[in-house]
Amino acid sequence: MKKSNWKFILILGVVVVLLLAGANWYAITFNDWRLVAPMDFETYEFLPGDLPMWVAILLVNLYVIYLMVLLIRTVIANKRRLAKTKTTRKLDPRLGLLGFAGFFGCLGFWTYSAFHQVYPFIFFSFFGFFGFFYEGKMSDTLMDERFEENRVRADAAAHRVTQIMVFLTLLLVSRGALLGNLEYTLIAVLIVLSLTFAADLFLSEYLLYRYDHEDQLDESGED
Amino acid sequence: MPEFECRLKKYRQLKELTQEQLAQQVGVRRETIMRLEKAQYNPSLKLAVDISRAVDAPIEEIFLFP
Repeated sequence: MKKSNWKFILILGVVVVLLLAGANWYAITFNDWRLVAPMDFETYEFLPGDLPMWVAILLVNLYVIYLMVLLIRTVIANKRRLAKTKTTRKLDPRLGLLGFAGFFGCLGFWTYSAFHQVYPFIFFSFFGFFGFFYEGKMSDTLMDERFEENRVRADAAAHRVTQIMVFLTLLLVSRGALLGNLEYTLIAVLIVLSLTFAADLFLSEYLLYRYDHEDQLDESGED
Repeated sequence: MPEFECRLKKYRQLKELTQEQLAQQVGVRRETIMRLEKAQYNPSLKLAVDISRAVDAPIEEIFLFP
């Protein structure tokens, strides 16, 4: 995607967020929190003061639909390009920074103690996005037979490691409740499964890069 | 440890082809040709045939297995 397209998407997103914030401010200040605070929609009646919030909600939904359409178009274009050129997808290694989103998993400790909610623990799986760093380094590479062989090797090695992680977790969990508490057991399983998923994503990309580049230091490139 | 001897470099140079040119002809990356020449990569039958055609030499003279 062109840089100008990214700018357009970003500016559009900022505008939509600002409109939503403005509509929220209007509803809180002049419209008695309508459509901001939870409402019973079975008895809902439209008031002219609701209009800014409805417009903002409509725009947010349209923006999300626009993003979905863009995503689907990009995926289809990538698949077509892949079938045509047999090269890996183009990806910026800086996307690997998204891996830091895995730390959002730590929110689970807070949400569990405050609201008994455990779902944020699955954010630990975002650590797998660190693999984008290595995938980006192998971006737009011709997928010849050696590449495909290395990919199979890397996937197999990554799956082996994650299988061991799952097996060890099963062994530990099957012994009974962790610290005498079944909820702690569920949390431990959630964390380990999320980290296992992340490890599988990361390792398959990392190992593929390593296998592809091993011994390259002594490759003189003689012609 | 190489399991075979590879004489690809000799035949490639006889044909006055660079690694890049040969790689393009047979549809692989230059790195794959480098590995092949060092006998660090065991090619598929199809790639071996393609290479043998590209350098005009019989497969059994390019790849020598003990």
